[in-house]
Amino acid sequence: MAETIAIIEAASLEDLAMLSMEFGRILMECGASAKIVEEYVSRVAKGLGAGRVDLRVGYASLAITVGIGHGGITRMRKVGGLGVNQRLGQAVRALVRRQEAEKLSLAATQAELMRLVKETPRHPGWVVDLSVGLACASFGRLLDVDWQAFLPVFGAAALGQCVRRQLLHRQVNVFIVATVVAFLAAFLSGLLARLAGSLTVDKAMVSAVLLLVPGVPLLNAQYDVMGGYPTLGNARAVWVGTILIFLAVGVWLAQIALGEGH
Amino acid sequence: MDLYKILHQTFFGGLAAMGFGVLFNMYRRHVLWCGLTGGLALAVRTVGLQLGWSLEAASFAAALAVGSVVTVLQERIGVSRNILDVAGCIPMVPGLFATKAILGFFALTAPVPVNPDETLITSVEFFLRVAFTIGAIGTGLAIPSLLLHVLARKG
Repeated sequence: MAETIAIIEAASLEDLAMLSMEFGRILMECGASAKIVEEYVSRVAKGLGAGRVDLRVGYASLAITVGIGHGGITRMRKVGGLGVNQRLGQAVRALVRRQEAEKLSLAATQAELMRLVKETPRHPGWVVDLSVGLACASFGRLLDVDWQAFLPVFGAAALGQCVRRQLLHRQVNVFIVATVVAFLAAFLSGLLARLAGSLTVDKAMVSAVLLLVPGVPLLNAQYDVMGGYPTLGNARAVWVGTILIFLAVGVWLAQIALGEGH
Repeated sequence: MDLYKILHQTFFGGLAAMGFGVLFNMYRRHVLWCGLTGGLALAVRTVGLQLGWSLEAASFAAALAVGSVVTVLQERIGVSRNILDVAGCIPMVPGLFATKAILGFFALTAPVPVNPDETLITSVEFFLRVAFTIGAIGTGLAIPSLLLHVLARKG
């Protein structure tokens, strides 16, 4: 009898640990900082009955120790590529609050989480492409790019975002994507700006690739260091630095192709 | 004070932040808040630059303003503070300096570099500006929430 109870407790601890980390994984992949991930994982685990929770947030993995009474287990799971998805992140946080308020069972919480992952909508791809094009053209204006280069930057950045979306969907390496998209956007932007008679071709070329500058991971890196997670913060910073180098290679190749710059 | 420049930077800062709000998959009503925070950031930064402040100081003031407004309005807006902070400050991330710094370092490795001393100094200057500006933005955004945390614990 005692053995049966121990098996049941172990099974529920296992499910509790894995579900809590699933929340953490999704939050990380949606662009949350380590502090937020730790807070919400801890809340969901305690809401499901854990007496104590210890979480380690790494760049590519999460590890958790949960305990109820005298029992406890430690589990680890992999985290996928880190992006930004505000709607899903917000919905997951709302689910944690709902779980606490309504005391949802583990099965109900898991089912609701799976539903959110499956059903949380995204903006249509073409809307994102045009928005990113507009954002980069606006960046151009902030950087004193002349009006002749406004539409070239808009078009090149929108096309660059479209290509980036397609390549990432086909699971091409993110660093290769950065170089390919940077080359394409910078080359097109520079060529069209030159044809339009722009006097700020070099700035137009750089403006069109600013969609690739990983602003969220960059600021998260600093938040993580300040929040007491220097390992994760440094890992993010290294990733950002590597993306910037691959981005610069793309711009450099485009400059050579157009005979601009050095 | 150049009012046209301030309005211009505010408008395009807001537009850039809204574009990134869509990329971050924010709800439509929240995208508008991104635009407002992005506009506020660029307005404060432009005023600071026109007062003769350095880019880093102006970026710090702008991030502090965005962080304070978002901290105060967060409950009413119903969006995560972190994401709104970041989306508002995205237009201030010095991507141009970062790219130019790396391109400058590439140029130094050419078989016969053109003006190597000048290129090195410019690249290092750009690199430092990126580091300090990012530091200024992160610190400016963090201060309001840290103060709120302290006040909440005292209360």
